[in-house]
Amino acid sequence: MTPGPLLLFACLTLAAGIVVAARMSRTWLALTLASVVAGFSAAVLVLLGAPDWEWRNAFSLGGEFVHLRLDGVSALFLVLLCVGGGAGALYAREYWSERYYPDSAPRGRAWWSAMLLSMGLVLTVSNGLHFLIAWELFALCGYFLITLDGVRREVRSAGWLYLVASHTGTVLLFAFFSTLAARTGGWDLGAMREQHGLAPLFWLALGGFGVKAGFFPVHIWLPSAHANAPSHVSAIMSGVAIKMGIYGIVRFSGWLPVPGAAGWVVMGLGGTSALLGIAFAFAQNDFKRLLAYSSVENIGVILVGVGGALLAVTHDNALWGRLALAGALLHVWNHGAFKSLLFFSAGSVLHATGTREMSKLGGLWRSMPWTAGFFVLGSLAVSALPPLNGFVSEWLVYLGLFDAATNKGPATWAAIPAAIMLAMAGALAMATFAKAGAMIFLGAPRTRAGTNAHECGMGMRGPMLALAGLCVTIGLAPILVWPLVARAAGAWRSTWVGHPPAPLAALGWFHAGLLIVGVVAAAWLWRKAHANSLRRDLTWDCGYALPGARMQYTSSSFGGIVAGWFWWALQPERKMRRPRGHFPADAIRLERVPETVLERVIGPASAAIMYVSTAVRRLQHGRLQFYILYVVAGLIALGVLVLFGAAR
Amino acid sequence: MNLVINTVFRLAVWLLVAPLLPGIINKVKAWVAGRRGPPVLQLYYDLAKLWRKGVVLSTLASPGFIAGPAVAWVALFGAAMLMPLGPVGSAVSFRGDVLLLIYLLALARFCTAWAAMETGSAFEGMGAAREVSYAVLAEAAIIAAVLSLSVQTGSVSLVTMLSPAAGAGAVLLAAGLFTVLLAENCRVPFDDPNTHLELTMIHEVMVLDHSGPPFAAILHGVSLKLLLFSVLLVQAVLPLGNLSPLAAGGMLAAGILVVAIGVGVVESLLARLAFRRVPLLLTTAFLLCLFALLVAWKGGAA
Repeated sequence: MTPGPLLLFACLTLAAGIVVAARMSRTWLALTLASVVAGFSAAVLVLLGAPDWEWRNAFSLGGEFVHLRLDGVSALFLVLLCVGGGAGALYAREYWSERYYPDSAPRGRAWWSAMLLSMGLVLTVSNGLHFLIAWELFALCGYFLITLDGVRREVRSAGWLYLVASHTGTVLLFAFFSTLAARTGGWDLGAMREQHGLAPLFWLALGGFGVKAGFFPVHIWLPSAHANAPSHVSAIMSGVAIKMGIYGIVRFSGWLPVPGAAGWVVMGLGGTSALLGIAFAFAQNDFKRLLAYSSVENIGVILVGVGGALLAVTHDNALWGRLALAGALLHVWNHGAFKSLLFFSAGSVLHATGTREMSKLGGLWRSMPWTAGFFVLGSLAVSALPPLNGFVSEWLVYLGLFDAATNKGPATWAAIPAAIMLAMAGALAMATFAKAGAMIFLGAPRTRAGTNAHECGMGMRGPMLALAGLCVTIGLAPILVWPLVARAAGAWRSTWVGHPPAPLAALGWFHAGLLIVGVVAAAWLWRKAHANSLRRDLTWDCGYALPGARMQYTSSSFGGIVAGWFWWALQPERKMRRPRGHFPADAIRLERVPETVLERVIGPASAAIMYVSTAVRRLQHGRLQFYILYVVAGLIALGVLVLFGAAR
Repeated sequence: MNLVINTVFRLAVWLLVAPLLPGIINKVKAWVAGRRGPPVLQLYYDLAKLWRKGVVLSTLASPGFIAGPAVAWVALFGAAMLMPLGPVGSAVSFRGDVLLLIYLLALARFCTAWAAMETGSAFEGMGAAREVSYAVLAEAAIIAAVLSLSVQTGSVSLVTMLSPAAGAGAVLLAAGLFTVLLAENCRVPFDDPNTHLELTMIHEVMVLDHSGPPFAAILHGVSLKLLLFSVLLVQAVLPLGNLSPLAAGGMLAAGILVVAIGVGVVESLLARLAFRRVPLLLTTAFLLCLFALLVAWKGGAA
């Protein structure tokens, strides 16, 4: 079987899915699953070593012949798309069902298929013009999915922000592709590394794709869009859609020559995104916003790896670049798996309690044990803790950075700060997810929202279980996915064959041993504690007789120390009214971390532009005599200019 | 046969010797203060007692309250298996194992913090928040220290990184790593292991509600971590690889003893820092390790 027929089948079933989505939800699900299985098989075939699939057609669209291609790089992202798309479709069946959303559920299914189709096209088209069309379709599908629940005001404004940010990126991409077409004399895309004049175009691509990828500081659309979208949409936006931005950066830095500074800039952006992204995440009280900012961090980790690869290209194709790139590409998969898992469990909590505020939750492990378990697993993976998949990919990136540092070349200047920033971001990620998990699931319910919670049904648990299995499998047997990732890394630079040793088998064995010993030790301690006599009593709380749920540590107090260190970036807003007098009536302390870049930089800048525009607009008032005056004044001014210009 | 002896020896060193260190530290403290102090083997008695005792669980606690200490202990034990012991090397060694070791310590921290949050007690929440926040700076210091060893030796594997001396930056590295050791193991001036009830504690306040066998696992894990950091510090600074196996083993043991005495002396002479000073001291530790890294990088070239 070659990838071609499989891809065609996937494309047709998705298109059929759009047609039947409104009426037949079961058929739609079957069609979607069939298409993702087909797409997945095609991508894995290519990654396992089948030759690249390429298809030029006489059929033309917009004056350009259709040219499709599936090589290692696009196959890697196609695998992610199929896994994320399939899991989300399964999850939405219960989460966004007709029962609760009779109006938007059918729409959601249709847009879901359209989104998968457009992302698949982005990954396979090999023509600049068609790429732009697919990219635009993909952005629009994203908008309609985010605003599924458009009756709520904040959802509409989040969708609007996404649309504006996305199109700002698209403008840059228009510039990128049209300049590229003008320089090369055609829209056809492919490897053209020997044309060194094209190198500066990399900056346009980095900006355009970067907005979609959401690195700091162009991540502004990401927190509100991820937080307000339905959770299965958040999962595909965060797990898959922002990776399309990474795909663009990886794709065109592989095909086109890159400027010498590219590696430095990308690595710097990556380190900054990792550290600041997770610092913002730690300060959030809304758990879906927290997950969204954590995506900014993970995009940072990926970019550090990509930056390492670009740096290696400019340093005699050093071997360590391959490790960094392989780590980054594996992290693309891993982040897709554990972030989707986290958003699914967040959706389950939201479904059960109706709130995203961690300060209103607590103690949910009792009513939602499955969701709690999945969230903990996802938290361990996203914090890059062994023995799960997140650690494997970060470990590869670290290995690349360490090898770069031990080389004592110029790249050491980049590798050392990047490694230190990654380490700090890793520690902060651990802190963030310890906080999130503990606030939502541990202790006592803080409000009534938490007391009436219920576990989600099998329809939501199934896809979560599959993703959790993926996280564990990649963690325990990284050697299984290594050939696939190495193939994609090899497709990025065809001369890059062979990798420096990364003892993934040893790591996998160690992870397996750790898991087994950990489970045995936990079970043993559990039995021992029960054998010794086990008594349940109130939390001791230093002898306080009646500890209440509201006395528990809250999310903002947990993050207070780190928020203090990063105050310059976070700019927290505080509102406080102290208790006064002998019988204080009320006291308030409110604290909120704004989206600083948006509210402190872009907001004021847009306001200034609006102010100037409004002032200029006073000239346009609809009184004809003044318009005639403008024309006369203009003519006189031109006359004066011509007169004096001619005299000189 | 050799493998069996090797494994048994290793288990004996890590599991049996570890609880000795807190005993030595306490003895040093008592000696400086002019008291007789608890016996050196006190922690062994405590562990044996706790292992037989019953458990009181908070009504709010989930099974994670008991699984957390178990997994944290296993993570520390796994880290110990990666750490070379002078002449006999480590049980498991591969390229990049040093990063696994750092992240195993993070796993242990996650599990301890998680178990602390189980009870819903504000005290434990406070301790957990402090533990995970200060760890950010400690982690930066550790990675800088590891990078400096890595740049010095051109290797990413603990066995080869730790056998030669740390070079010209050894003093800087020793000072930096010793400070990190104090912070990570909750000793004065970061934390006071003697008190439980103060609002100002980090680690001790996280384990307030633990009792019985899970508490024994926590205490043993803490001593394991202390031994781990002492072994790392001694091997990072002393050139054990250049000595004969017997001398290297003796040197390692003597070095660990010196570290324990040093901790005891510091604890006797210094008061605990105010909390707003803790990040400053940790940043100093980070800078020391960073300078050691610069020396390893630029000093080697000169």
